[in-house]
Amino acid sequence: MSARALFVREWRLAFAGGGGPAGPAAFNLAALALAPLAIGPDTATLAAAGPGVITFAALLASLQGAERMFGDDAGDGTLELYALSGLSLSMAALVKALAFTLAVFWPAPLLAALGGLAYGLTLEAALVLAAGIALAAPGLVFIAAFAGALAAGLRRAGLLIALIAAPLQAPLLVFAAGAARSAMDGTDLAGPNLMLALAASLIAGVLAPLGAGAALRARLD
Amino acid sequence: MDQTSRPPALPDARLEARALRLERGGKMLVRDLSLSLTPGQALVLTGPNGAGKTTLLRALAGLLRPAGGEVVLTPGPAGWLGHSEGLKPGERVSEMLAFWAALSGAGPDAIEAASRAMALGHLARRPCGALSAGQKRRAGLARLALSGRAVWLMDEPAAPLDAAGRERLARLVAGHRARGGIVAAATHADLGWPDVERLDLGLEAAA
Repeated sequence: MSARALFVREWRLAFAGGGGPAGPAAFNLAALALAPLAIGPDTATLAAAGPGVITFAALLASLQGAERMFGDDAGDGTLELYALSGLSLSMAALVKALAFTLAVFWPAPLLAALGGLAYGLTLEAALVLAAGIALAAPGLVFIAAFAGALAAGLRRAGLLIALIAAPLQAPLLVFAAGAARSAMDGTDLAGPNLMLALAASLIAGVLAPLGAGAALRARLD
Repeated sequence: MDQTSRPPALPDARLEARALRLERGGKMLVRDLSLSLTPGQALVLTGPNGAGKTTLLRALAGLLRPAGGEVVLTPGPAGWLGHSEGLKPGERVSEMLAFWAALSGAGPDAIEAASRAMALGHLARRPCGALSAGQKRRAGLARLALSGRAVWLMDEPAAPLDAAGRERLARLVAGHRARGGIVAAATHADLGWPDVERLDLGLEAAA
């Protein structure tokens, strides 16, 4: 009941104050558009680099909202109110991350599919890549949220968030990109890679909110 | 507000601190503080800047762990009005109140009563970011009023309020106390509330 109310509010706030999915999607697109300029025009190289570059762009985009996810709450007194709301802070972190995934980060798989085609991946590989990003997206956001909670209210939180989150997100990067590479190479490892991406997301979904809740609790003290 | 629309009386509220010791940044702020408030009582905390008023309120709310002693606050959790009101600039006042009402299980009549008590009617559709400091305070007070919490902890509740706002605040607090609620407020200004307990943390520190 109260978790649902919080989800609805966070969803609403993502559009009312944060511009919805526009920020991370624009960042994601810019990264996808710029990388080929650096990689060069060779189509084979571009296609080979595609899964990695596209997944990496999604990873960077997932960090875009992390600073504000809890930084705003810590700054404007909302954190105290959530702590005293009867909802546990871990639950609040879980709900906020889910709302962020669905309200803000949803274009990532779409961009991955379009980017895959533009980079010269086969349709099948592009769709597998999109599936990989879709399965990895919640995990990417959960880990970004954990880093955001640790850095909430600190100066240069953005730098800290990238340093904390990026290594933890590495497995998701490996599995999502690995699935698309397997599909491209015709090995039958695409399925297992997708399963591993999902598993990593689920593990992050359990551990990251607990860690975020503890970090927020410590922030109040 | 007529008597029939009033929320029911609050259950046995109690706010107690026993031998409370609080430190902040290695400095002892409160030493062996004991207090006990029963339904209908109000405590006004005074003292110079940095005396530990906010720290004491946070410890009473359970937001920070005291260095020693214990706090009893029933029924918890406390109703909280902090230094900033926890408003989101992009959210309308009515949406904000509806959210907190949903979170505490309050109905539409509680929202209605709280926004009437704080004169928010004409501001309901305004985004919270477009409110003045005093209006924000009133929005925060309305959120507190509809929370249904028995023990209210307020940090400088009157600071940005004009005379009419202070009058409304005093009425809100009087109504809460009349229903058996407990209020503890830190303040610099004279709140003009009748019949309150007082605690001066400056004197406490000097003693």
